[in-house]
Amino acid sequence: MRSFKQFLRISAGSPLYRKKFGGLATEIADFKDFSARIPLTTLEELVAEKISSGDPYASRLCGNGAPLVTFQLEYDTETRLYLALSRQDLKKYAEALRRCWSLVGLRKGDAVAIFDYGTSPVSYLASSAFTPHLSQGAADALGCLPICNDGVANMSQRVVEILKFIRPKALFIRSDCLEPFSIESERQLGSLSAYTGALVVTENEGCLTKVERDAYEKRLGLPVYRLLRIDAGMFLAMECPECRLFHSWKELYYIESVTRAGDDVDEGGQKSLAVTNWFARTCPAVRYLSQVKGSVHSAGCRRGRADIRITA
Amino acid sequence: MRKETEQGRPDGKDSWPEERLRMFQFRKIKRVLDHAYRELPFYRRRFDAAHLHPDSVKSFHDFARLPTFTKREVLDEMKKKGTFKIGMETYNSADQAVLCMTSGTLGTSFLYLPKRWRSLRGDSLARAYWWGGLRTGMRMLMAAPAWHSLAVQESRVIERLGAACVVPWGTFLPRFAENFLTTLVDTRPDFVSMFLPMLYALLAECRRRKMEARLAFDSVQYLLIVGAPMTPASRVKLKEQLGVRDIFEGLGNPEGLTAMECSSHRGHHIFSDCCYVEIVDPKTGALLPAGKRGNVVITSLIPHGTLYLRYDSEDLGEILPHACECGRTWPLMEVYDRRANTVEVAGKEIVPYDVRLCLDDFPELIGVPFAVVRGEKSAPYLRLLIQRVPTGDPYELGTQLRALIRQRLQIDAREEWSEELPERWKGVAVIEEKDWGTPRV
Repeated sequence: MRSFKQFLRISAGSPLYRKKFGGLATEIADFKDFSARIPLTTLEELVAEKISSGDPYASRLCGNGAPLVTFQLEYDTETRLYLALSRQDLKKYAEALRRCWSLVGLRKGDAVAIFDYGTSPVSYLASSAFTPHLSQGAADALGCLPICNDGVANMSQRVVEILKFIRPKALFIRSDCLEPFSIESERQLGSLSAYTGALVVTENEGCLTKVERDAYEKRLGLPVYRLLRIDAGMFLAMECPECRLFHSWKELYYIESVTRAGDDVDEGGQKSLAVTNWFARTCPAVRYLSQVKGSVHSAGCRRGRADIRITA
Repeated sequence: MRKETEQGRPDGKDSWPEERLRMFQFRKIKRVLDHAYRELPFYRRRFDAAHLHPDSVKSFHDFARLPTFTKREVLDEMKKKGTFKIGMETYNSADQAVLCMTSGTLGTSFLYLPKRWRSLRGDSLARAYWWGGLRTGMRMLMAAPAWHSLAVQESRVIERLGAACVVPWGTFLPRFAENFLTTLVDTRPDFVSMFLPMLYALLAECRRRKMEARLAFDSVQYLLIVGAPMTPASRVKLKEQLGVRDIFEGLGNPEGLTAMECSSHRGHHIFSDCCYVEIVDPKTGALLPAGKRGNVVITSLIPHGTLYLRYDSEDLGEILPHACECGRTWPLMEVYDRRANTVEVAGKEIVPYDVRLCLDDFPELIGVPFAVVRGEKSAPYLRLLIQRVPTGDPYELGTQLRALIRQRLQIDAREEWSEELPERWKGVAVIEEKDWGTPRV
């Protein structure tokens, strides 16, 4: 079992968490204690903290040095939020993306297309060539060949060109580009499955419903998987082609399904996912309460027997 | 005791005597020629068709016998083969590599860029950022257009120079100006790398917020601008508006060109360690001497990934005839525009940059949007559409502008003033007459 004490001591190095649970850092003994005593952190709280402190990192920053890599986050909030990452944070975050890629069957020699902004973790964790101080991206680790296109819906034509001349094994696509791209591909390519093996639809703190996913699969004639991002928590989870639940990894994250109030009581099944990130040391995410409704299932899928499984 | 050197400080190659530099470049050219002949079928065919063997290339003059090619030929080859692998690239599935794209009106072509390419081109580019003032420990604001090879090089530059980076959400589109400006204010970078039209979008966002640009750029010491030419007058005005120490302009393309201003701002030094540039007459293909405008032909000196050898970029440019006062020996060049944006007026070829230089002679017109209206045939006079300025008498300004154009470009001009250029023509320097309706004058 992970040492909560060490993890919480590091996290409490940030002004925000020191304020929230600094005194408890040495007292937490197990997961049950952790969930019961460590308070949730919400997006609204981060926004309020940024406004009151004037700190772009919403007082989450640990350590004294200037952050090496900073990304503005994709949240449509009153004020913009930022994430700071060290080399080690980037490495582990990219490892999460590598696991997502592996789960959908990407292997050495496969080309992978990404229709998303270069500022999305789906893009910037793909290759060490895209991000300063990232030693190994998902593509580097697997031996894949990535290509990105900015996630602007009216650039769907360029994605069609990518499909024609690159034939990627999978196309990762922003959910708001999915419909424009589908129209463009139907107009120009006919059968999409002749050009790629699968679509992977991504969104920050949201995902297609199963009904929408199934409708696109039927319409486009190829598998459509979902990749769940919770960027404030540096969290990635991938829909499994086998069990169709999201897989995540306990070495990287601790996932809870909680009510907005933070207790464990189900309010009509509308629980939200809360993420604790084990690897983020520069901007820790401790019990970050996302806007994603979901629940945690038991492990046991044959594509990853120990993987955490999530419905969202 | 080991001598301490500042991280990323460039070597002295840029000040080598010209003869040494030419020999160095020729050795590199021979290396890429051999590589292309042995490994790349696209070039092998071209060598054979020109009855040229790399061994027979003994001089730069011999090298110029290798026929040039354009993007159209690359796209045709891709179309014929149905893949991006057209024999211009050393593809190895074991390489750590990425694919990037080139954009443009003709279509998209692809570049296969392995790690070795990124190291060589990125380390070369680091010199440009060093000249521009980026140093270890500084924070640089950058965009992350991962589709473009500049992003791949910039990530290497930051590592090489030991800088930190901050990346606003989105991309180089005016609608993301709000994110860029907020990031600038929130994270206070020392150095900004920016696409020029995006910088103008940021200034517009400052006006919208009623915020002084100087305040927004308070932390910024240096700006590196790419993507569009900046005139000397607009640089002076921008420096004053933003309160930065200096603004540098970089030139380049994914196919191989890197050129960058030094602090003398007398032109762009061609980065002779990674590219070789020729200027050719677009009609005859003959090499043009320094001081003559022609098509910019590029040869990448990096024998990894996709290789462009004597690639006619169809940009209009020239090698400048003067030496730079900074003492560096890497030749200076200027790129004015895409050749497609050339307008023929009274038998003379004019590009929008020529007009911009004239407009910028008038303080009221610096940075004011304008367009050249082009007819199907050579026109007897230059037809301009200029956004009306809030101050000054347009009639008087027009008279003075026409006189200046006559004096400087030896052509007549007529201008029309529009309240605002239609959105679809913002940033488009040439409008076809057939697309032009009745302007709101």
